[in-house]
Amino acid sequence: MRAWELMKETFLRRRHIWIVHLTWLVFYGLFWWLFLPDPEEYGGFLFLWGGFLLPLALSAGIMGDDIASGRMCVLVTKPFWLGEVYLYRLLGLSLQAALHFILAGCVILVLHLVTRKGTMAGLGLWFLACWLLFNTYAALSTSLSVVIKGVHNSLLLFLGTLTLSAVAAMVIWNLQDHPMAEVVKGFFRYPFPPFEFLGHLGKGDYAKQTLALGGAGIPKSVACAAHSLILTTIYAGIGVRLLTRRQFSTHRD
Amino acid sequence: MLLVQPDQGPPSHHDAQTAVECTQLTKVYKKLLARRTRTVCALKQVSLSVCRGQIVGLIGPNGAGKSTLLNLVAGLILPTEGQVTVCGHPARSVKARDGLGYMPEHPAFLGGYSARATLRYHGALLGLSRGAITRQVDRSIQQLQMQEFIDRPCSDFSQGMKQRLALATAIMNDPQVLLLDEPSNGLDPVGIIQLRDLLKQLRDSGTAIVISSHRLGELEKLTCDYLFMHRGQIITLADQAAAGAGEHVRVGLVSDGPRLAETLLPASQVLDVSETELVLAVNDPADVPDIVTQLAKGGARITSVVLQRENIEETFLRLCNEGCNP
Repeated sequence: MRAWELMKETFLRRRHIWIVHLTWLVFYGLFWWLFLPDPEEYGGFLFLWGGFLLPLALSAGIMGDDIASGRMCVLVTKPFWLGEVYLYRLLGLSLQAALHFILAGCVILVLHLVTRKGTMAGLGLWFLACWLLFNTYAALSTSLSVVIKGVHNSLLLFLGTLTLSAVAAMVIWNLQDHPMAEVVKGFFRYPFPPFEFLGHLGKGDYAKQTLALGGAGIPKSVACAAHSLILTTIYAGIGVRLLTRRQFSTHRD
Repeated sequence: MLLVQPDQGPPSHHDAQTAVECTQLTKVYKKLLARRTRTVCALKQVSLSVCRGQIVGLIGPNGAGKSTLLNLVAGLILPTEGQVTVCGHPARSVKARDGLGYMPEHPAFLGGYSARATLRYHGALLGLSRGAITRQVDRSIQQLQMQEFIDRPCSDFSQGMKQRLALATAIMNDPQVLLLDEPSNGLDPVGIIQLRDLLKQLRDSGTAIVISSHRLGELEKLTCDYLFMHRGQIITLADQAAAGAGEHVRVGLVSDGPRLAETLLPASQVLDVSETELVLAVNDPADVPDIVTQLAKGGARITSVVLQRENIEETFLRLCNEGCNP
């Protein structure tokens, strides 16, 4: 019961949540309908909107709203481990995303059947990559929300990702032939949400390697998925630790 | 209630009747300002214990540390020094929270949830079964007269409705310790009477209740155990202070008040004097006939004699003045 209620409120906590889902589904449909993209372009679009922007929209103020309103003060006095609030909310977001991507797949399938345009080939891998990226961003955003009041966690994460991507691109460009280039790439690849690896997974690069090299791509796919899940776990662990150690009122009467 | 002053040291053992125990509690808030850190000591070495079946009122001016004390007992914040136990368990532990009910000053709920959904949500957080939640919800609706708005969304609630719902969620688990921060905020007179009756019922069933409130008149009807706080310290127990201050008698006169006071009464006994009234301190109501006889013999033409006792409001003001000018 407790788990279900905590997961359920990730959908019901704000009225904009279902509007976000609906809007995103409409975008997926419109993009398919208007631009007739090839699977790779369409996958990139899904990856950006579903894997990166969707978690930011759904997790905006997921903890910060409650901390700012004082609602968290009542949750803190209930007899259960406070980390459950974090974990079940993250699980709630992840389940929402899974349902969201299933619905997105249905929308695209219907459009494909009606218009007889485009191809569904490879979209399954893109949806998997989207869901994995969603989870890492949702965990990161939820952890930020523990320390940042209101909805600023998502805004900060959005700006942080843009800045970091720009810095990474600039640094790697300047170090193209430098022996330190791989070290720098590693710094940007491993501790941050794995855009690059999951992008390869979605494109089917690892699957192509499997066909070409006879199974060598499977460990890469598994390692890629494991990497994103480990990052999600680390971000969530930090969030749980912050939440359980946090003080919830510096208010003085 | 046992109040332990700092110089007396902490209580030596945990009593089964003790619901809340604070030992040498200090809380310092640190605020990062532009280029320096500002510290505010909100509580200074406060020790106290509250027994089961007791209502304790926390009174004091703004900034006295009342909410800080409540927050520490609720486990919302951590003490800088000292320790708090609730039902024998450290505050903030799951076991301590098992017997705790807390109602904040400004309750907040999910706007899209109705009062019924909110109660069900809190029941689920408490780990109750589906059947138990339904029973508790029905009981809460009856206890707090929430029939009219039980299915309305919380975003439409008035302050009074929010207070009722917050109290209902706080007492859902039949807590052994109930912490209330300004519980009568926004309640109508009927709601205040219902709240008072409910709190008395809870007290009679063994719940220890700690109330922080500025509504002294309301508090006076619930309990005579007050802790007067000022600048982060418990100055005194208000009922002891009231007893120490004693009662006073107002003697109405036709005239000649100043002369009578000067010639017949010791200066320390005269609190106020005017041409037609004397206000005199009395340690014991049995002294009043002697005072009246003494005045009459001295030629006073008495029109009225009224014995008055300092109420909680007057005690509060006096302690505030004493606290500000020790």
